[in-house]
Amino acid sequence: MVVIQQYLLAALAGGASTALLAWTAHKLHSAKLTARLRAEAQAQINTLEVEHAAHREALREREQAEQTLHALTAQLRDELMQQSASADELRATLDVVNVDREQWTNQARQIAAEAARLKHLGATFERWHEQMISLMTQNHDMHAKNQELSSIVRHVVIVSLNASIEAARAGPAGRGFAVVASEVRALAARSEELSKSYRDSLHRNDLTTTSTFQDIQAGGKMIAASLASVESLANRFHAQLEKVPM
Amino acid sequence: MISAHAKDSFDRIFRKAAQARLPVAAGDLCEIAPMAEAGACINRESKVVVLTISSIVFRLLLILHFDENDTTRGYYLNDGDERPFQEVFLEICNLCCGAMNQELLHYFPDLGMSTPYVLNARCLPHLHELKPAHVSSYSLMLNGAVPLAATVCVCTHAPLDFVADTSAVEETSGELELF
Repeated sequence: MVVIQQYLLAALAGGASTALLAWTAHKLHSAKLTARLRAEAQAQINTLEVEHAAHREALREREQAEQTLHALTAQLRDELMQQSASADELRATLDVVNVDREQWTNQARQIAAEAARLKHLGATFERWHEQMISLMTQNHDMHAKNQELSSIVRHVVIVSLNASIEAARAGPAGRGFAVVASEVRALAARSEELSKSYRDSLHRNDLTTTSTFQDIQAGGKMIAASLASVESLANRFHAQLEKVPM
Repeated sequence: MISAHAKDSFDRIFRKAAQARLPVAAGDLCEIAPMAEAGACINRESKVVVLTISSIVFRLLLILHFDENDTTRGYYLNDGDERPFQEVFLEICNLCCGAMNQELLHYFPDLGMSTPYVLNARCLPHLHELKPAHVSSYSLMLNGAVPLAATVCVCTHAPLDFVADTSAVEETSGELELF
């Protein structure tokens, strides 16, 4: 009985020690498990914290970017306003320039037309030239008449000389006639002088008339050439203005 | 009123134009000598061709003296030429004056030239009536046989000063220029 008791005690003790061992083993195992789980949980917490920090950082960056974008938008809006203001200004200036350009075009056209119209002055100069020709023809006529007069006067001188000779031949009876013949000769000499002087005057008249009218004619051509140059310049200016796009 | 430079320039311009345009053929000689007085070699029948170049400040009269005799006629008229001598000679004078005009255009942009007119040479002693500021006369001899004379008379009330460069050689001679 005692043996059985011993057996039982031994069994009990064995069971108890096994149970103790098992319990200890269990405790050890569960402590290990807990520690591992805790470590894992800690690792996860760490990861999450890091992620959270990154997230927060990203959020801050986004906020900063948003602020920058806001600032940029505001700046762009300002610039747009300025640009549109200056565009309006430019448009206004362009409108003014266009109006000016139209006026210039009109003025260039007017100058060209005026120059073209004034070129007809040439006709006036031609008329003066014709008048010169007519004056010169009259001078020519007067030259011819004066020459005729001069030849008559020369004839009178010869006749008066003959009369003087005849008077001398007649002796005392021809004395009175000699006086008349001498008077006629003196008159003829004066006429000859006058005719020479008249011829000189006609030559002087020829020169002054010709040079004056030639000056008018040449001056007319000079003015016509200058007007043609003004007309061509105005036309060129007009053409250039036409080429400029509106 | 007219500077020595301007007088010299007119002289050179005239000489160049006369030598280029008065001879009929390009190789013909044209001797030019100064003459004391405009009417020095005038006889009763001598005639002059008068041409005027006008500018804003001055007018220039080119006066070419000629005798319409057989020598002159023979030089300027070809055998088959049926035109009257004066018509041919006026054309020559016109070309000569035109050459002066072309040369002067380099210095005076506004110029005009008259048509030629024939007068009796006895009007030359009255040249002073135009109150010229400068007169110079020349006797010309073409090919040593055909005598001519010329007077350049410039009238101006304004001071006139320019220096002409007459060194450029003209390439054309004798024929009409087309503008």
